[in-house]
Amino acid sequence: MKLLLWIDARWPLSAMLRVGLEEKIPGGAKYAYVFGSAALIVFLLQIITGIWQVFYYVPTLKEAYNSLSYLRIEVPFGWLVHGLHYWGAQAMIILVLLHMSQVYLWGAYKRPHELQWLIGVGLLVSTMAMVLTGGVLSWDKQSYWVVEVASNIAGTVPLIGDYIKPLMLGGPAVGQLTIARFFTLHTTILSGFILVLTVAHLIALRAAGSAGTFNPQEATRTGPFWPDQVFRDGLFSSLVFFTLIVLSAWPGAPVQGMADPLDSSYAPKPEWNFLFLYQVLKYFPGHLEPLATVGIPFLGTLLLVLIPFIDRNPERRPSRRPLAITGYIVIMGAFIAFTILGHYSTPGRTAAGSEAAVKSSPAASTVSFSNAAELKKGRQLFHSHGCIACHKVEDTGGTIGPDLSDEGNRGRSPQWIAEQIRNPKSHDPKSTMPAFSFLSRSDLQALVDFLLSLKSGTPPAAPAPAAPQRGDRESVSEGATPAASPGHQKAGEAAYILGNAGHGALLFNKNCIQCHGNKGTDEVPNPGSAAGKVPPLNPIDRRLYDPDPQSFADHIDLILQHGATPKGTHPALVMPPFGAERDLTQPEIADIEAYVLGLNHVDRARIMHPGIKPKLFIALAAGLNIIAWLFPAWVWIRGKHGKARL
Amino acid sequence: MPETIESTRRDFLKLSTGILLLVNSVVLGIPLIGSFVGPSFRRPEEIWMKETAVSDLQTEQPVILKTSDEKVDAYLHETVVRRVWAVRHPDGDVTVFSPICPHLGCRYNWDPSSRHFVCPCHGSIYSIDGKVLGGPAPRPLDTLPSKVEQGILYVKWERFEVGIPRKIRV
Repeated sequence: MKLLLWIDARWPLSAMLRVGLEEKIPGGAKYAYVFGSAALIVFLLQIITGIWQVFYYVPTLKEAYNSLSYLRIEVPFGWLVHGLHYWGAQAMIILVLLHMSQVYLWGAYKRPHELQWLIGVGLLVSTMAMVLTGGVLSWDKQSYWVVEVASNIAGTVPLIGDYIKPLMLGGPAVGQLTIARFFTLHTTILSGFILVLTVAHLIALRAAGSAGTFNPQEATRTGPFWPDQVFRDGLFSSLVFFTLIVLSAWPGAPVQGMADPLDSSYAPKPEWNFLFLYQVLKYFPGHLEPLATVGIPFLGTLLLVLIPFIDRNPERRPSRRPLAITGYIVIMGAFIAFTILGHYSTPGRTAAGSEAAVKSSPAASTVSFSNAAELKKGRQLFHSHGCIACHKVEDTGGTIGPDLSDEGNRGRSPQWIAEQIRNPKSHDPKSTMPAFSFLSRSDLQALVDFLLSLKSGTPPAAPAPAAPQRGDRESVSEGATPAASPGHQKAGEAAYILGNAGHGALLFNKNCIQCHGNKGTDEVPNPGSAAGKVPPLNPIDRRLYDPDPQSFADHIDLILQHGATPKGTHPALVMPPFGAERDLTQPEIADIEAYVLGLNHVDRARIMHPGIKPKLFIALAAGLNIIAWLFPAWVWIRGKHGKARL
Repeated sequence: MPETIESTRRDFLKLSTGILLLVNSVVLGIPLIGSFVGPSFRRPEEIWMKETAVSDLQTEQPVILKTSDEKVDAYLHETVVRRVWAVRHPDGDVTVFSPICPHLGCRYNWDPSSRHFVCPCHGSIYSIDGKVLGGPAPRPLDTLPSKVEQGILYVKWERFEVGIPRKIRV
């Protein structure tokens, strides 16, 4: 107490507290007013967890993703710090929208609160900018496309777009300076701006006073801010905080896999908060696109800015403001509807989308003319997709399936062959041939062209190449335990990248399924190999398996990077060196590794040093809250005046 | 509402708000402290470097072995080359020495003519089993942990303080 007096004599502590806490709310405290303070609390939480992340995070193209992964799985409570920041960002938007909705519906933006409303609009825009810039920093697949699309949108701004985009990226294309810029904006400029605006917002609140209830009869009675409203705010904020803890533990922040501009199989879609814009964009074709990308956010913000000046009627009761309330319902309804539509839409399959053609069945289309390049591609595909393991062509190949050396003379239509490749069971329900339904239209066409060119007795259009990816390169013999030979072959970069198992499944189905079978379980024949079949991946060879995700990834990474030739005289199928030959990028290999680990019940993203295990921490937080509440509850129940309303 | 009821209710609200603040500070404080401490006191994982087959080492003939070692520094992975001295004794045991002179950290050599280890910097001389024979060296050569499995020599890389009589791991 003495200390407080000492400070008070030199710094207006009690006066500041009075300004902060003493306030009469017309109509008294209400749970309807809790959203603003909850947004403030979550923002403070974002500052703290943000600073804490910087203890580990580095904003470089090469290390951003890995440093964040390190925080998440190797640092005690790193999962929680990052999870709170990730989910806190989502909560911020929801809370700011709820707060603005409440203020709007209550008519609390009206005189004398116009400036406070304007500052609030500034806070909304800054919050959206924070979410956008922050999402880029994790440098995962989502981030890359966010920065790519956002900068291209900026590039469509009339007149100045050509200047904004390079300024935003720090150069002509996304690179190291881009991430440095987004980092600086996110951690210093924008967050500092929000801090200043927040203080200005609160000063405006105290200067103009609480707007309180819209009901004139109720407004004659007032209630104090402290403790009545602060208690309600605290209760709600605690609930929000607890929800964020639960979300951080389960499902946690998503593991997206490292950013990879070369991975065309990833279908980018914005986070829910920008889905409405993503969806609306689809209705503006071509040259009208800037109207949506730039026009809608601009007009939306302009409308928010103008609201207190358009609507100057002092009436605050919603029942007496039909136009304002209808407008709100229409705009919020559209926002929610477009968000839901965007959520359920399939990326790349829009009416105007360039990939729309994919939908049309190749079987129904006519096969175009073939040329030498097409035939060469078809032959390569025939080898790389493992067709050669079962079918004989040009005097090589397996004997499990029919000999296709004379396929061109059988009089089958291109459509029939295409259908046989995509869905063999449509011609023979008992067929054991795997369905190659994942082939792109052009690949399928090349294969069909190649097969139709096969006429025994006629020399092929180009000399037959040797079986692909076999020869002079150093190869790991399949089934050898790489762990037993450290110092010779090192795991590649991919082994240290936290892969996205879900996306890995997609890549697996594109690149690996033809030899390793569906989910790695099929026993695909491999004539000429000692084992006679391709090694299954599910369950995988016990010598490669390791319950530790990093060791497991190290083991299979050697094979994915450098390939492997199975033991045997002339194995028809060999494991290509996907990494060494750049057929797959390191992030892609990491994703496939995460998927293969998952098939063997090892979670690549397992938290190695949780501090306290996520679920246990939820229980602890819940327990502490309950114990803390027991005491006041006991006081309340025992108290003579127990009828007091909370 | 009588004044007493109001004040009791307000006291209760103040107390509850205080408890909420306290509990949530604890719930947030635990992970903040935990993640700040982080791996500060964690010992790096020790990796056995695979060196060579023991049968390839000649008895009483020190050789320098080069191995690439995976150096892990938080999220940075780097391959570094390590050099160690290995001596195979007549009984088949192998001693592995750190290549760093315990005097002031120079790299010493094997002198085949005198059959001693000699440090070029300040002239410290060591016997084949690492004992100090001359010069300013404060202690014998530092041995490194090693093991032989299925005839293969494995070594663990470690560094020690130099210039002091005691062998203290860095």
